[in-house]
Amino acid sequence: MKIILTILSLIICTGFAAGQTSSHSNKKLLKIKKGTYISFFKIGNNQSITVASFYMDEYAVTNEEFLEFVKTNPHWSRSKVNRLFADANYLIHWESDYVIGEAHKAIYKSPVVYVSWFAAKAYCDWKGKRLPTIAEWEMAGKASPRNKIKMPLTEYILEWYRRPNPTVLPNVKSTYCNVYGLYDMHGLVWEWTFNFNSFLSKGDSRASEDDEKKSFCAAASINVNDREDYAAFLRFSYRGSLKGNFCISNLGFRCVKNSE
Amino acid sequence: MKKQLVHAIPIMAILFAFSSCNQGKNENSTDGPRIDTVVTGTVTAELTDPPMVPKQLEYTSPKKVMVELEVIEKVMRIADSTEYTFWTFGGKVPGKFIRVREGDLVDFTLKNMPDSKLPHNIDLHAVTGPGGGAAATMVAPGQSARFQFRALNPGLFVYHCATGPVGMHIANGMYGLILVEPQSGMSKVDKEYYLMQGDFYTKGKFGTPGLQEFDMEKAIKEEADYVLFNGKVNANAGPNALKAKTGEKVRLFVGNGGPNLTSSFHVIGEIFDRVYVESGSLMNKNVQTTVVPPGGSSIVEMKMEVPGTYHIVDHAIFRTFHKGALAQIKVEGPENPNVFLKIKN
Repeated sequence: MKIILTILSLIICTGFAAGQTSSHSNKKLLKIKKGTYISFFKIGNNQSITVASFYMDEYAVTNEEFLEFVKTNPHWSRSKVNRLFADANYLIHWESDYVIGEAHKAIYKSPVVYVSWFAAKAYCDWKGKRLPTIAEWEMAGKASPRNKIKMPLTEYILEWYRRPNPTVLPNVKSTYCNVYGLYDMHGLVWEWTFNFNSFLSKGDSRASEDDEKKSFCAAASINVNDREDYAAFLRFSYRGSLKGNFCISNLGFRCVKNSE
Repeated sequence: MKKQLVHAIPIMAILFAFSSCNQGKNENSTDGPRIDTVVTGTVTAELTDPPMVPKQLEYTSPKKVMVELEVIEKVMRIADSTEYTFWTFGGKVPGKFIRVREGDLVDFTLKNMPDSKLPHNIDLHAVTGPGGGAAATMVAPGQSARFQFRALNPGLFVYHCATGPVGMHIANGMYGLILVEPQSGMSKVDKEYYLMQGDFYTKGKFGTPGLQEFDMEKAIKEEADYVLFNGKVNANAGPNALKAKTGEKVRLFVGNGGPNLTSSFHVIGEIFDRVYVESGSLMNKNVQTTVVPPGGSSIVEMKMEVPGTYHIVDHAIFRTFHKGALAQIKVEGPENPNVFLKIKN
């Protein structure tokens, strides 16, 4: 397994990620085996989705890692980025285009936030990876913690959702690790998914009132599979409020890769 | 739109005679604004924190009214030594009081603070339109959304967050009141106050010190630890009591955010001279206790004849003694022995 992983990451680094420093080349990709995801929202009669095995980043992309991407791809720097692809908050927490800043030293290894879906997707592309789908992310995210957390996972998640954002975002790997070996799936930042706003069906759910209302109020209470899974409910309403160019203080991402 | 059919019939007859293709619009010309009334001028709504109410409106023709509400998630005291993470419309629980007039065109902006953990939206019961504005105002942290609605029906309306899971957003304090004054205005009173009841569910029992978390299980079972007026134990009691003078007419705008418990709203030692039943157009008189359901409201008026401290309670009385459902009005002024006299032995 280790050998395969090493080879994989070598391929990523040499094949797709020219200009990257070696310190980032050994970010672990962990295998998530084939499984089933029960869709949170009812989709016709077919509510379970088979998810093929895939590899997922061990932890979320950090400010330091994202800086390398921006340096290599200047059109993704704060001043040059196309506003269609990232709103005015893009990387607003950095000192300047290519400098995170001495004042922000504490966040070098924290998850990068204030990044749009487009930027996150471009980063993953650059790494020869892609953004996880909702089904992939949720399947990986529901895995049990193997350290640190004593309460049930759902309670831990709800507890985090309730807590206001910390002033300084902690480093990656500062929360729990789950049985796959993935760090911080919950408890650090929200994460972009490839199809974040399509969970209700069509490509652009924001354009359709009919889709939107399913996540509101009374309508929502009859369309979900597990109405007591309030943690998932909050996650889906968060995703439903997003647009691709939004850059938000508590929203980061990690990448995945097909297992073939 | 309310219809005074009796008055409208002769007019309708004339209208039908001359223009049969325009029915349904002009039949209301004697009552309430036409939905296409042209607004003249723009005003920015005065927004107030509880227990205060914006001044009575002085304009007499429909305006465009600008309203901007901020969603703020913050830790505040729910009791003297207990903290809770509230989600608020404007930084307090209940949220800002909004006052507009029947026929106004309300230009509404909802802003979610960048530090928020969650997305939020708003469903205003005063809105005629899908979701009461909920779908149009779904806002991620750091974003804002805007929509416009015509205030068609007069009354006192609850607004609340309708983002899933709705119960949780409401239980954390996301509600407030919007008053739509009728075209004819409201009668003058001496004091107006804003009170809103809400039930809260915490891991620790009532009064347990420290930061308390929301308890979903208790919320589902409807076993409230706190039942409060204006979001905190004694928010408007003791030194923070509402104030009035003898002889003054007091009007209370009373809402209930819930999420679960219906209020049996009562003021000990007073009788409501007038109650706008469910804040609608029906007026009741001489009422002891009025029902205010979650997502509903009432307007009550009383003349304060005798000085003293009056307790405002939910007459489901264990809530008052054990869960915090108490506010007070302190009435100062000369004794009124014609109305009340304690007789010394």
